[in-house]
Amino acid sequence: MILFWIFAGITLFGIIGYLFQILAVRSALTNKHYAVTGRPRGITIEKSTHYFEPDAYQPPVSILKPLKGLDDGLFDNLESFCNLDYPDYELIFALQNRNDPAHKVVSKIKDKYPSKDITILVEQCSEGLNPKVNNLIPAYTKAKHDLILISDSNVRVEKDYLTDIAEHMKDPTVGLVSNMIRGVSGRSLGAVMENLHLNTFIVGSVCFLDKYLRIPCVIGKSMLMRKAELEAIGGFRSVKDYLAEDYIIGERIHRLGKRVVLSSHLINNVNEYWGLKRFINRHTRWGKLRWQIGGAKYLSELVGNAVFISFMPLVILPMSEASLLLAATVSSLKICHDIYIGSRLRLRLNPMTYLLSPLKDLIVGCIWFVPILSNTVAWRGNRYVIGTDSALSPMPETGMWIFSHKVFSAIRARFA
Amino acid sequence: MLLCDFHIHTTYSDGSVELRRTIDLFGQAGFDVIAITDHVVNGDNPLGKLAHRFKYSVTADNFSQYISHIKEEAERAQEKYGMLVIPGIEITKNHLTTDNSAHMLIIDIQDFIPACMSYEEIFLEAKKQNALTIACHPHYMSAKGDRDTLFLWNNRDKYARFIDAWEIANRDDVFNVISLKKYPYIANSDFHKPRHLYSWKTLLNCIKDTDSVKQCIRHNKGVALTLFRN
Repeated sequence: MILFWIFAGITLFGIIGYLFQILAVRSALTNKHYAVTGRPRGITIEKSTHYFEPDAYQPPVSILKPLKGLDDGLFDNLESFCNLDYPDYELIFALQNRNDPAHKVVSKIKDKYPSKDITILVEQCSEGLNPKVNNLIPAYTKAKHDLILISDSNVRVEKDYLTDIAEHMKDPTVGLVSNMIRGVSGRSLGAVMENLHLNTFIVGSVCFLDKYLRIPCVIGKSMLMRKAELEAIGGFRSVKDYLAEDYIIGERIHRLGKRVVLSSHLINNVNEYWGLKRFINRHTRWGKLRWQIGGAKYLSELVGNAVFISFMPLVILPMSEASLLLAATVSSLKICHDIYIGSRLRLRLNPMTYLLSPLKDLIVGCIWFVPILSNTVAWRGNRYVIGTDSALSPMPETGMWIFSHKVFSAIRARFA
Repeated sequence: MLLCDFHIHTTYSDGSVELRRTIDLFGQAGFDVIAITDHVVNGDNPLGKLAHRFKYSVTADNFSQYISHIKEEAERAQEKYGMLVIPGIEITKNHLTTDNSAHMLIIDIQDFIPACMSYEEIFLEAKKQNALTIACHPHYMSAKGDRDTLFLWNNRDKYARFIDAWEIANRDDVFNVISLKKYPYIANSDFHKPRHLYSWKTLLNCIKDTDSVKQCIRHNKGVALTLFRN
């Protein structure tokens, strides 16, 4: 019985964490943007077709788009950047080779928008171990403007996006602007779970860290910065061997004495047809990354997963009404928490989707243990060992690493 | 080169993705030409009757709605993605034995062709409509869940002259016999689910319009295969 109350106590911590997440998201989406831009936040005007402010701060921007492969809705994602209400910006699509299927898509985009300043850059770069940074290194050399925006290929934005985030740069103490993201368009189980996780755990945690702990939180899907600051921290080459290049860039700019700002302008992260395996793989990789960066703080993620903890008595202790009641109550509370945050993010989800939330948390709870047991990651077809601060090193060709990898590969190939 | 897929199913038959989303899926991936080819199943045996009962077949009754919906989406696809969408069907003659079963694509179809007609009648009707006729997955397939359709291959001496091209590759399967016989070829996904997007495809070296595409396939010059992967 003592064990039950220990789990119940930890669960209570998790529930309190949920409450703080709600408060942080509420606060981020209501106050902050008014304070910075003095007008309603982006998501409230997403239906507006043209948004120009005569006195808005709109310096020219180079948008760098590292591309590899086809993301869900790639054409629409890229097209949304051609329709920005912004006077002067260039788009640089960077690919490693011409045979990448994304090349055909960007060529079509360029044909469709001949008046836009679009560069398709196909350049093989293998300077680092991070393939995204390898794309960014040559793209950066082509960037014409002082402000650069790094934007992932799986995000879709509204017309006022660039105006909104550039506004932050008016303040010279701001060194980097990142954005809150929301997962949209899920049509398969893996994609729905991915979006639920982005819209609850990721958004909640980012807002919580930003508001209560003042920890600079950078989401690599959208990072606006000046060339001067990027060069002061050593440029993209200085982060070429890090998995979490976004975190490292944010951290270093913060150390320069510049502010790292989280814009409350929500950008859509499109995840339509993910399989469950892809969801598990991504969060295993992200878990390893956070374990290497956060160390002991990583434990807070397990404590914060109240659903997972509430199910522990059911697994470890003999079945009892109290255990069932605890798991059912916490699951219901988590569903309500997710519905509330979803409503704040203006998600148009089928309410039944939220019923998957406890299952997703249980899966994420199981994934939590993997980083403690393994520090290798497979990313975009390559395999690495991940070290302190997410520094990558190539998978050794000898020893237990490669032996176990070969055994698992052989088993997988046998049953494929 | 035009990236093409001429064998795509939607929820009009047994596909899992509705027509509009299918068009978007291919458009978002940068395709140049696709053909929507839902099943028209023979209703003259128990297998066919089951398909009709579960609405896994385009019928004479909904054919005009099917075609007009494809044409409407084709306009949208052209405007949004610069993608050519050609209406078609897959004549599906399912029988209890694989030797008697055959599937064939009729691409750029104008009027309904029932699957219970004889093979000769179907081919002649397709010719009359200036449609392309493609023999689908004509040889043994690797997927255990799929039924082989060997009739056209087994009777190739009789029917090859009616067939404009043969599927040399279908989704993950490659039929080397088509190459050995030097028949005109194309490769398709036999798309039923989003994951089937990543499969064998055809590359055509021609202008992006229906007549040029048909001519290119018939003459089988400037045709190449590609395994489309992400």
